[in-house]
Amino acid sequence: MTDHANRLQARVDELEAQTRRAFDDAQRQADALFSQYQLSQLLASGGGPSELGSAVVVELTRLTGAAAGAIWLGDASQPGIVRISASGAFEEPPPETFDGVDGARRWADGRPELTLLVLSDEPPATVLVLGSGGSALDADGLRIILLARHEIAVAFGGTRLREVLERERAELGAVVDGTTDVIVQVDGDRRVTRLNLAGERALGISAGTAAGQTCADLLGCAVVGDHADDGCPFGEVLASGQAIEYREAAIRGSDGTKLRVGGSYSRSFGDGTAIRATAILRDVTAVRALEQLREGFVATVSHELRTPLALVRGYSETLLHLELDPTDQRRYIEHIHQVSARLTDLVTQILDVTHLDANPLNLERAPASFLALVARLRGDLAMSGEDARLVSNVTQDLPPIEVDAGRVGRVLDNLVANALKYAPPDSPVVIDAAAEGEWLVVTIDDEGIGVPEAERAIVLEPFHRAWNVRESRIPGTGLGLYICRRLVEAHGGRLSIGDRADGQPGTRVTFTLPLLPGRHRPVPATPASPPAGASEAIAPAADAAEAVAPEAAARG
Amino acid sequence: VPSQTAASPRGSSGRRHDGRPFDGPSLRDGFRRARRTIDRHAAWLTALDAALGDGDHGDNLALGLRAVDELLDELPKATPPGELLRAIGHRLVSAVGGASGPLYGTACIEAGFQAGSAPAIDLPLMASMFRAAAAGLARRGRCAVGDKTILDTLGPAAEAFAAAVELGAGAAEAQRAALVAARAGMLSTRPLIARRGLALRLGPRSAWHLDPGAVSCYLLLVALAER
Repeated sequence: MTDHANRLQARVDELEAQTRRAFDDAQRQADALFSQYQLSQLLASGGGPSELGSAVVVELTRLTGAAAGAIWLGDASQPGIVRISASGAFEEPPPETFDGVDGARRWADGRPELTLLVLSDEPPATVLVLGSGGSALDADGLRIILLARHEIAVAFGGTRLREVLERERAELGAVVDGTTDVIVQVDGDRRVTRLNLAGERALGISAGTAAGQTCADLLGCAVVGDHADDGCPFGEVLASGQAIEYREAAIRGSDGTKLRVGGSYSRSFGDGTAIRATAILRDVTAVRALEQLREGFVATVSHELRTPLALVRGYSETLLHLELDPTDQRRYIEHIHQVSARLTDLVTQILDVTHLDANPLNLERAPASFLALVARLRGDLAMSGEDARLVSNVTQDLPPIEVDAGRVGRVLDNLVANALKYAPPDSPVVIDAAAEGEWLVVTIDDEGIGVPEAERAIVLEPFHRAWNVRESRIPGTGLGLYICRRLVEAHGGRLSIGDRADGQPGTRVTFTLPLLPGRHRPVPATPASPPAGASEAIAPAADAAEAVAPEAAARG
Repeated sequence: VPSQTAASPRGSSGRRHDGRPFDGPSLRDGFRRARRTIDRHAAWLTALDAALGDGDHGDNLALGLRAVDELLDELPKATPPGELLRAIGHRLVSAVGGASGPLYGTACIEAGFQAGSAPAIDLPLMASMFRAAAAGLARRGRCAVGDKTILDTLGPAAEAFAAAVELGAGAAEAQRAALVAARAGMLSTRPLIARRGLALRLGPRSAWHLDPGAVSCYLLLVALAER
């Protein structure tokens, strides 16, 4: 019976052992399954190669019970495979790079403490090295790694690819943001999805605020009234899929004013929500202004040159072909002389404008007396006998100014000549000047036809002449006032056109010139009576006044 | 007013403690409280997980405990606690998304194995169940205390409970010791750098965040311990 009982007991033990083995197997399988699951989750979690690399190396080292682990990854941009992560203590530091999978194998061959697993030998190659640290690696863990090796390799390939894409995206973003052209992208509903830096600047809005607005709201189509909704170029490319190579439109700029822009519109591939239309626009306001200027220049110059040349040619032909008596001959020659003087003026003015547009405009500033400049002007006018019309209220006690005397002289010449030209013969032109703070405020009043209020700003631009002047048939280039304004502004002053203070018909031109800093002593108008202690600094002004004398003398 | 001890009509073969005996019905109550607790804190857990993992821990756990609730309704009233725990464990493995399902499931299943088919559980058995749960979770998760995981809460709690029982503490005292240790363990995960799970990716950046698993484990233990 004992024998029977023993046999029964043995059988029970055997069955129990079987059950335990089955149970342990089930547990191990469950453990392995869970490990695989966790590894998969980690691999799917994204991130860059080094981030994923360090996480995966820790995981795989733990999984196999290794003391250390390192992973190498191939890269399309360079030969060999590069270590992206290492953890734990290796007996000797693992190399940064191998020349390939075979290089890694050769290195590991002589080192029995290391286990090398090639996860992928297809590019990008992935190699894992585990250091056992003396004890054997966990067979279950190794099996899990081998089962998952394709998954691991694919995950690393994916991060490599993502890294390349990210880099390209960043580069593209830098190009888009670096360009000076405005780039606007909208979706299928014409709502803004992208606006580059140049666009933020031109429109005065951040890309974040712009996102989601309709293109019409962003660009202010309703305000600048450039096109109706059905004329929207974005709408057109979205509907047709045909790119617009070049089109000009008006948009609302950052300060609310109208900007003229031109550029291309195109539609991305795709449809539904992925569709995008992109405009690359350049501010052509300045280009268009320049074109208008050029047209004005050509029109004015051709008219102003052709008229006097035709006269010269007519008079000279008459002189050549007709037998005229000496009185008539002299009259014709006088005409030719006058007309050539006009041509000289025109050429001088055009040269002046060319110099003004040179950047920077170099001024030869020196202390000067405004009274002396007026005196010199009077000397010049004496030659044409018009000096009698110039009435100067400029007093002796004005403080000195610091200007380029030659250039301010041209301003005075131009403004007074204008006043004389457009006012009735024998009417006076009155110059006055007074110091105000750091500025000398100069006014020139005439009794002429005046400048219509609406055109006062525009006549200060090149090649613009007021309509009443154009109708008056008085010749002119439309450059004089522009030259004056630019020269005054180069000194830091302002020039404006207004009504006379006494309300009489005519024009008052006002401009300002800088006073000599720190000096409020009057400068002598003539060199004859220099006040005691007049410094050398004011000498040029004295010279300017002196210069009147020889000219006046020459005329006799 | 009946005393707490007398309040339970279900006398059992287990030792009588200063509280309700740990049996099937009290276990069911515990898991129903756990469901409510996790529902209340799901958003917080998910936010913690968003910093370290994939940001779904609270929602996953809430869904899993809802499934456990439904399971409890299906099981016969007389089901002994060991069997209940194993069933709950299997349900958690399949119903909780992410790694926490298999981990919590394993802990329950291991504790259930320890309980066997005993209709009620005395303190020494409870201590060994607690330890088996922690050991099972450590084995499945291949983790140790200090890896910034659930185990940082569960391990110290199990050890403290067992130590208290060995020193002759009553149920309430042993529970208190376990919860104090669990809370300290949960808080200890804050400065740690993760060595397991998705937080591995963050490397040193995983420090200074509470581990969501350690937090949910503390919440579950508090809910189960309430009497």
